[in-house]
Order: sequence, then C-alpha cells, then structure tokens
Amino acid sequence: MADRTPQVARALPGRHQLSREFIVEHQRARIIAALAEETVEKGYRAVTVSDIVRRAGIARNTFYENFSSKEDCFLAASEYAVESALTRVSDAAAKVDDWPTKASVGIAAFLRYVASEPALARTCIVEALSAGPAAVDRYERSIQAFVPLFQLGRKVSAKGSDLPETLEETIVGGIFWILYQRIIMGQVEQIEGLLDELVEFSLTPYLGAEAAKRVAVETSAGAATG
Amino acid sequence: MLDVEIRERSAGHERKRILDTLVEIGAERGYAETTIVTIVERAGLDRSAFDRHFRSKYDCFLSAWQEINESCMREMLEAYNSHEDWPDRLRAVVSRVVEGLLADPRRASFAIEVLAAGDAARARRDMTMRVVASLIDAGRNEMEDPEAVSHTTAEALAGAAYGQIYSCVARGYPEELPKLVPQLMSAAVMPYLGINAALAELAQGFIPTERYRRDVAKKRTPAKRRESTESAEGYPPELARLPPGRHGLPREFVTHNQRERLIAGLAEAVAENGYSGTTIAHITRHAAVSRRTFYEHFSSKDECFVAAYDTVMSELSERVSEGFKEASDWPHAVRSGIGAMLAFLAAEPQLARLSMVEALVAGPVVIEHYDAAIQSFVPYFSSGREGRPPEVLARLSPTTEEALVGGMVSLISRRIIAGKAEDLEELLPDLVEFTLTPYLGSHEAAKIAREKD
Repeated sequence: MADRTPQVARALPGRHQLSREFIVEHQRARIIAALAEETVEKGYRAVTVSDIVRRAGIARNTFYENFSSKEDCFLAASEYAVESALTRVSDAAAKVDDWPTKASVGIAAFLRYVASEPALARTCIVEALSAGPAAVDRYERSIQAFVPLFQLGRKVSAKGSDLPETLEETIVGGIFWILYQRIIMGQVEQIEGLLDELVEFSLTPYLGAEAAKRVAVETSAGAATG
Repeated sequence: MLDVEIRERSAGHERKRILDTLVEIGAERGYAETTIVTIVERAGLDRSAFDRHFRSKYDCFLSAWQEINESCMREMLEAYNSHEDWPDRLRAVVSRVVEGLLADPRRASFAIEVLAAGDAARARRDMTMRVVASLIDAGRNEMEDPEAVSHTTAEALAGAAYGQIYSCVARGYPEELPKLVPQLMSAAVMPYLGINAALAELAQGFIPTERYRRDVAKKRTPAKRRESTESAEGYPPELARLPPGRHGLPREFVTHNQRERLIAGLAEAVAENGYSGTTIAHITRHAAVSRRTFYEHFSSKDECFVAAYDTVMSELSERVSEGFKEASDWPHAVRSGIGAMLAFLAAEPQLARLSMVEALVAGPVVIEHYDAAIQSFVPYFSSGREGRPPEVLARLSPTTEEALVGGMVSLISRRIIAGKAEDLEELLPDLVEFTLTPYLGSHEAAKIAREKD
C-alpha cells in the first residue's frame, strides 16, 4: 500500500527555479496523486475534497489554494496525464526515423506509460468515457492532443489527402476505448500485450494491412527485447 | 378477469408516462438535478404512483436507460437486416442510429446525462457497445482470410464511433451527425474491404435510410428481393439461420407435459425462424398442441419465451454450480464452472442460441430476465476477491465481475452467431485466462487456463 504513490508525486518537471513555486507544484502533484488513488478506491463520484486532503496529508486550505473544486483538480490531473504521456511518446518517436516506426514506438511508449500509472490512467480514461456531459471536454482534449501524431501518416500514404477527415480521431478514440475496456475489467497488466493489435489497427489506414502488420511485428519484437 | 387486464394495462401506461417524463427532465437537468418530486409533478401523478413502479430515482433512471438501450439494439438489428451485403448493413445501422438521435434530441441528451448515474449505467451502455462491435466484426466474413484482422479492431472502431457521436451530441452540434456517417463508415470498412471501399464510402456521403432503401431496392434483382422478403422479418439472416449440427432437444424437454411441450416447441420454432419470425402458429405446430392450449398456459409469445429462457438458464445455472463445486480451490472452480457452461451450450446449440442470442432481441420482459441471469453469475467471480492482496483489490473496479461476465457472454454469443456453437468448448482456455487474470495476474491465469484435465 505504502508503495503505491504514483510517479506523479515525485515532483513535476522543474520548469520553475524558485523553490516556493517548486513547492507549490509539488503540492499540486501530491494532490493529483491523492485524487487518483481515491478515485481508484471508491470511484470519482464518491470522492470528496476531504478524502483527497486526508490522503495527500495537507490542509484543506492548501487544497483550495491550488484548486477551486474537485472538478478543477480532476481537470488538472487529466491535463497532467496527457502531457506526461505526450512527452514520453514524442521522446520515443524522436529516436527513430521513419513515420511508421515513430507511430508504433509512440504507441508502445503510451501503453507503457498507462501500465506504469494505473491509478492515474484509470482516473482519466475511465472517467472521460463514463461521467456524462461534464466529461466530454476532457475526452475531446485528450483525443485532440494525440491527433497530430497520426496526421503525419497522411504524408507517407499514397491517398493521404483523400482519407476521412476524422480518421485520426477514430484511431486515438479507438485506442482509448480499448484501454478503457481493459481497465474496467481489471486487466491493466495486459495493456502492453495489446501493442501488436493496436499498431496494426492504427497503421492499416495509412500503409495497408500487410505493411501495417509487418511494422506491428517488428515493434513488438523490439519492445520485447527492450 | 377483464378488470385485471385493464388494471395491468393502465399500470403499464403509468410506468411509461413516468419513464417518458424522466427522459424529458433528465435531458434538461441532468441526473443530479432531477428529483422524484419534479417527475411526478410533470407527469401529473402522485408520489405513490412512482413508488408502485420504482424503488428510487436511480432505479427509475436505470429502467429508462435500459429501455432506450433495448429499443436501440432492436432498431440496429432491424436496420442491419434491411440489407444483404455487409457494408450496406453496417451503413444502415449507423444511419439509423444517427437519424434516431436527430429525431429525438431529448433521448440523445438523456443518453449522455444518464452516465452520471454511475457504473451500472455505464455497464449497460457497454453491453450495447458489444453488440455494435459484433456487427462491425461481421466484416471479416467478406475477407479472403477472415482471421486476418484482430477482434480488437472492431471493438476499437465501435468505441471510436461512440466517442465521436457522444462528443458531437454533448457539445450541442447534433446537426453535424449526418456528416459524420460517411467518415465513420469509411474508417470501419477500411480494415476489412481496403482503401478503395473506404474512399467509396466517403464519396457516397450520407444517405437517409428511407431514400437509401428505395435506391437499393431499384438496384437489386427481383429474384434476390424475393429471397430477402422471405427471411424472418426484422432479423439478420445469420441470427435467424439454424445452427448446423444437432437439432435434438434434451430429453428433459420432451415430455408429455403440455407446458413443457410448448416451451420445447418455442425453442424449435425460434431456432428455425429467429425470435421475431416466430409466430404462435409455429410454436403450436412444433408442440403439436392447439392454439387454445397455448393460451391456457401463456398470454403471449413473449411470456412463452421467458418461460423457455428461464428453463434453459436454470438448467445452465445448475450445471455451472455443480461444476464450480467440484474443484478444491477458487481458480479451478471457475475453470470447471466455465467448462460446464460451455459443455452444456455446445451440446445444445438450439438452446445456446435461444439463451445467448435471441434473448437479446426478444423484448423488454426477456431483457430483465437476461440481466438477472448475467447478475447471477457475478458471485462466482466476486468470491475470487477473498484473500487477495490489497494491491490486487485496488486494481479491481466495482464492476469488474459484471464486465467479465459481459465479456464472456459476448465471446460466446459471437461464436454462436457464426454458427460455431458446437466448437464452444475450444474457448475454455481463453475464457479461463481472461476471467482469472484480474485476480491472479496473467502468468498464473495462463497457467491454470492451459492445464490439462
């Protein structure tokens, strides 16, 4: 139990030089981590600000210095998660040359991140798809953040400009849905095993089924060896 | 007698009025802001009327949501069956859904607001989404190698389509929905039919279903048309077709007892014609009893189906519970319970179809029993939580078990729809691994799944 503190709590990237600001950032991260843990334990709706405050070990005032409400805190958690995932995806993609490989190692990095932060992932992905109208913005924002990475695939596709306008939303939304389903079923540890199928699903529209399958096999072989 | 009938009819009417009003208010104000007082006031009823039909606001929301899901499922299957070729069928389904949302914006908003009611509302939606995924997944039959695309693809496509429609409605642009149809269709056919078919979907644009139906009818050859009108109405042929293999009913069903004979007659008639294609005349013919005898036992086809469904399910439950008791530890009990279930369904393909496929489209009354049956399997899995370490328990969600049963049922029914009920036992290792993993981790689950008896 003690070791379940998500990596989130181990400080955010230190953009700020001033220690006071660093402390504030650190506090925010601790609160976000507490929200995620509480959400996993009892479901987002049942979580109260008091629960979060207790778990984070901070004063109620401190919570309200950082966030105006539970909802606000939730939004920050979701932004933080998307940003961290994006960083990992771009870092992984920067190490390789061609787009198909970039896309597939990016997906691998994304799945690895989700598997490494189960509480945060569950909080963001499951809530975005199950909380009614309030969640729609979060869903939209998360999807849109990843859309440009796939749009680059149109350049390598012979029919790039003819492809459906919302294709990238379908790909990202599809990946989110699959992750949502696995998380709901308590199968977080199987998420990385989805690499093959998700790469194939995402690249087929751009490369055709055969080439997509080839990239998928290469990527999962690469992921398996390290 | 007549009094009872009138009372029942007006009770049904009252219930419907409450549900309609709830949808209206729920769409306007959302789950949290809707109160029982506002519902009964607007419906022009008193509180006792509400209490007669529902236990709580939550119960009322879930009932309304359940009915919306059922009617949506029926509309989708009807649209699917209105065409013969797969992409046309899928297009009809998507167009019908979109047209339904446009025609009844309150329902569309309600569908989003209701998710705030919690896990049960979400789980219900996910059941419908599994049906959608299987309609997309049927695209593999159009391929030279039907196994070339993973099942995950259909699941992802269904979820992505839901996300885009959800987002369009929730942001208040339902009028954009028709434009979305060719986009969604294009993405959905691509993995199965290739890029050219995908581009053709885009070029075609959105065609309203009525006009669409006329256009397609013109193109069709008369011979083909006749064939299609003969198939069971409102039913996809692969659902209506008799599964290959054994047609015998279990001995227990063939007795001189009239009621049981009628139940057996219904099972046979449904296997032959699909539920919606089955008439009371079919049932009495198979049962070799008179129409009057039918009405002595049942008031409607639905009621007879429910009796058949319950008979099958209680038999199935008994086998599962016996199987479960055989083993010494929980993981092996799950394994032998699932094994018993698959063995029963494989040996009785007609009953397998009746209970796992037909029940989903047979009507609201049956759906309640279907839901109850699903719920009755939940405890087998939730007992696996006992004694698990805290980090495992933290990973499980309150609806994990429901999702596991739903996932399992969806895999089983997909096999049955494909006409492979007799091979169901092949699913054992996969299902065991799938259901044990959340509790034991994938390594241990895979080990138990692959054990030899």
